[in-house]
Amino acid sequence: MGLLQKEVFSRRGINTVTEIEIVKYLQKKLKEDVINYSVPQERREYIRIKPAALIKAVKALSEKYHPRFMTISAVDHGIDMELLYHFDVDGNVVTLQTTFSKEMNEIDTITDLMRAAEFIEREINDLFGVKFRNHPKPERLILPRDWPPENRPLRKPHEGAIPPSARLPVETLISTGCLTTMSSYVKRRREKAGLPPSPPAVCADEEWLPEFQKIMKQTNFDKKAGYDWKKKKLRYR
Amino acid sequence: MKRYSLFLGCQIPLRIASVEIAARKLFQKLDVELVDLKGYSCCPDPVVSRTMDRKMWLTLSARNLSLAEEIGLDLVTLCVGCYETLAEANAILKHEPETKKEIDEILSRFGRKYEGKVKVRHFVEVLFEDLGIGKIKEEVKKPLKLRAALHYGCHLFRSEEGEDIWRKSEMMKELVQATGAEVVDYGIERLCCGFPSMHADEEFSLKSRLLPKLREIDRAKADCVVVVCPACTIQFESGQVLLRRYGFKYNLPCIYLSELLALASGIPSAELSLDFHRSPVLQLARRLE
Repeated sequence: MGLLQKEVFSRRGINTVTEIEIVKYLQKKLKEDVINYSVPQERREYIRIKPAALIKAVKALSEKYHPRFMTISAVDHGIDMELLYHFDVDGNVVTLQTTFSKEMNEIDTITDLMRAAEFIEREINDLFGVKFRNHPKPERLILPRDWPPENRPLRKPHEGAIPPSARLPVETLISTGCLTTMSSYVKRRREKAGLPPSPPAVCADEEWLPEFQKIMKQTNFDKKAGYDWKKKKLRYR
Repeated sequence: MKRYSLFLGCQIPLRIASVEIAARKLFQKLDVELVDLKGYSCCPDPVVSRTMDRKMWLTLSARNLSLAEEIGLDLVTLCVGCYETLAEANAILKHEPETKKEIDEILSRFGRKYEGKVKVRHFVEVLFEDLGIGKIKEEVKKPLKLRAALHYGCHLFRSEEGEDIWRKSEMMKELVQATGAEVVDYGIERLCCGFPSMHADEEFSLKSRLLPKLREIDRAKADCVVVVCPACTIQFESGQVLLRRYGFKYNLPCIYLSELLALASGIPSAELSLDFHRSPVLQLARRLE
């Protein structure tokens, strides 16, 4: 907020709140549930939170600032769904961003706290197929009642950034450190030819693999590729 | 005795080990010691990984380079893809201090550092420039009587700013000629084999990239195609099998330069495990013996 605007607001007795105050307040209330935040311009805040902390965040915002609910935007990232909850707090547009996997595909409704969210949540359910847990009226809003439930007009296929034919090599790269795996036939043939059965690479030696996989995580390549560490597979292959 | 750290990459040791076997035997004959780079990972590949995530691509490259720096040796690759990744990452780390700082920070979490002292060399450069064509010719014990078409591979043309892009391909040509083989011109030597476009459109890759090359090589009456890239090898070999689906039948041997030089130096084909190939390289080698 500019100095002049601040002065005008103050003379009119309008209670103003700064961007950073809101961010700090939410950080204090939500602690590690706040993943990060950005203030790209005056009176505009984006606060990224964990999906499980959504109700807690909206409650905290409501208790202190009595915000006006504006709307929710939905963004389909292919393997993940992102929802952006926009609120007006004293002329600040505060956006709570949260991302969850399309395998999970559901999030708590905020209609108990923000009655006006009822329609937009139904619209998002219609168009993207996201389920809002405990929604008071989980019915169609835009689409006809007989619209096939598996066909949501704005929902993208469950696919990540890697093109189909590159998925196996990328999956192999993340899980082993090499682009391809070695068959037992090649191992035997290597030995027969007087070579060690495997090359001295990450993919052949457990000692080096943890370091390699930590690099995958620390550069966020695993997330970009959509790799599931438990299943040792890409989430969309 | 010259010494280098050997960066094997993924495809050669895991799929076409005959290329590695030939290179090791050849360098031993040439009195060059290749020291294995322990704990190396995929370079990583200069197409998919690099396009997807530059930071990951640079971090892994820097880690691989740091392994060579640790043992104090320049690095030699047998694969042009690995060469491109490691040479270009090396140049980026030299010319972009901010990027290097970021990558250094990640490496330091693993107790590693890379100071930029390693030179990345493709084995064509080592043979031609470091050892010299005279030494290679001296080692040719069995001049090869064959007509060879060359497929340089796109990555062999990657060069540092201001460098002649034909430098390494000319070296490759002279090395093939040193074996006694006749190099035949077929006009589209520089056309890509189509390997990267297999990810997007198999039919385009096979019919618009590989097929014209096979057709022209056949027309030039070459006995084989010589390559320096495992991806091109896979494309030439598996591609010929896949093209049968579209009604095109070719049976062209696709031999690696290290294998060709090893044969010319008198190493018997039986010692090279040439049946790792999916094209009739072993048959070609037997015919030459």
